[in-house]
Amino acid sequence: MVTKDDIHAALELVPDPELPVSIVELGLVEDVTCDGSKAIIALLPTWSGCPALPMIESDVRQRVSALDGIDVCEVQWRYEPAWTPDRISADGRSKLKAHGVTTPQACGSKTLQAGVSLTTSAMKCPYCGSNQTRLDSPYGPTRCRAIYFCDGCRNQFEHMKPRSTSL
Amino acid sequence: MTMQDMLNDLLANVVLMHTDDKLMLGHMQSDWTGLAPILEEDIAASAMSQDDLSHAMILMEWLSEKYGLDVDSIGFRRRAEDYRCCDLATVPDNFDWSVSLVRRWLLATFSSIGIDRLATTDDASLSARCRRIQDEQAIQLKYLSAWMVRLGSGTDESRERMQTALELLTPEAGMMFEPPDATLSDKDACCSDRDDVFQQWIEIVSPTLRDAGLTTTFELPDRQATGGRRGIHAAHFIEQLEEMTEVIGTDADASW
Repeated sequence: MVTKDDIHAALELVPDPELPVSIVELGLVEDVTCDGSKAIIALLPTWSGCPALPMIESDVRQRVSALDGIDVCEVQWRYEPAWTPDRISADGRSKLKAHGVTTPQACGSKTLQAGVSLTTSAMKCPYCGSNQTRLDSPYGPTRCRAIYFCDGCRNQFEHMKPRSTSL
Repeated sequence: MTMQDMLNDLLANVVLMHTDDKLMLGHMQSDWTGLAPILEEDIAASAMSQDDLSHAMILMEWLSEKYGLDVDSIGFRRRAEDYRCCDLATVPDNFDWSVSLVRRWLLATFSSIGIDRLATTDDASLSARCRRIQDEQAIQLKYLSAWMVRLGSGTDESRERMQTALELLTPEAGMMFEPPDATLSDKDACCSDRDDVFQQWIEIVSPTLRDAGLTTTFELPDRQATGGRRGIHAAHFIEQLEEMTEVIGTDADASW
């Protein structure tokens, strides 16, 4: 008999295709239900229509279906609640930081600095810890990440964008 | 349920109006991928095109569930006259960044209002989808407005080019407010009064134009004027539609 814990353990092995964290650490897993040999996994997309979603979906299906006792694994993408970086676990945050990607909570700031007018922000550089950082662009390598520049160590770093309208 | 059932439904028409604006705009703006003036803009412009196409897809998924149609059929297999986008979405920018920026900003301000309104409809699935879109739309709008101000108040050349682009697109902007269906009443819950939407829109665009030092006068067209929202499209829309549907027209099962 497969338990929810078994399924959770399997999901912990599903990596985000672009970041060194699992989808559980990233906070994508919203709900897991198990009905006999059928598992239903409800996931939240970070950003709408993120190109990584089909990859994640297929990885989840593969991992969960491989469990002894599971014949069918259904993946549902939900729009509510909306994913926010607040859902990233503490472990996830430290792994992201080591990778040079900051998160809103970890920096104590939930909003991005104003648009394209580049001002000193309170975003702490993940490399040198300096506060002398500024927003380079709210649109980074993926839509869930913004690009910052640190004047302290002259490195660029990425920041998981808050889903906030006070950009 | 058939395509015609969808096209006969008033709420579906309102949804299609925003869906098609985003579908066509995302397609148009992606021309800039690899060509934008600076690297950050290249990334941002491409990301915003991805936003628009994703939002169109989320709305098409709702239509697909409601009318039992497949998403690709809704996106790519309608007759030209069944698309509900306004002409502004497909006005060629001829690779002039100022025209591209003003076009995108005008449409982003309009769709912000539309999505906000749809986020309060009684249909739980539709409103949840629109709430999901809202903040991404808001980030776009802030970003685009900041660029309007930055270029409008920049050098003489940037100001002049922005002003020229604004004057070029001003006549098209009024047609964003054309109701997608002649029978759609002014006070329809999901669309609301045309004048009311226009007034709300003016309140959003005016401060940005003022800060940018740009001037224009927007006017609502005559109520009888028909355009893209009722399927009477400009030649540039037809060209874009043909380009966008070329792959599916050649190979219906293509995937990438």
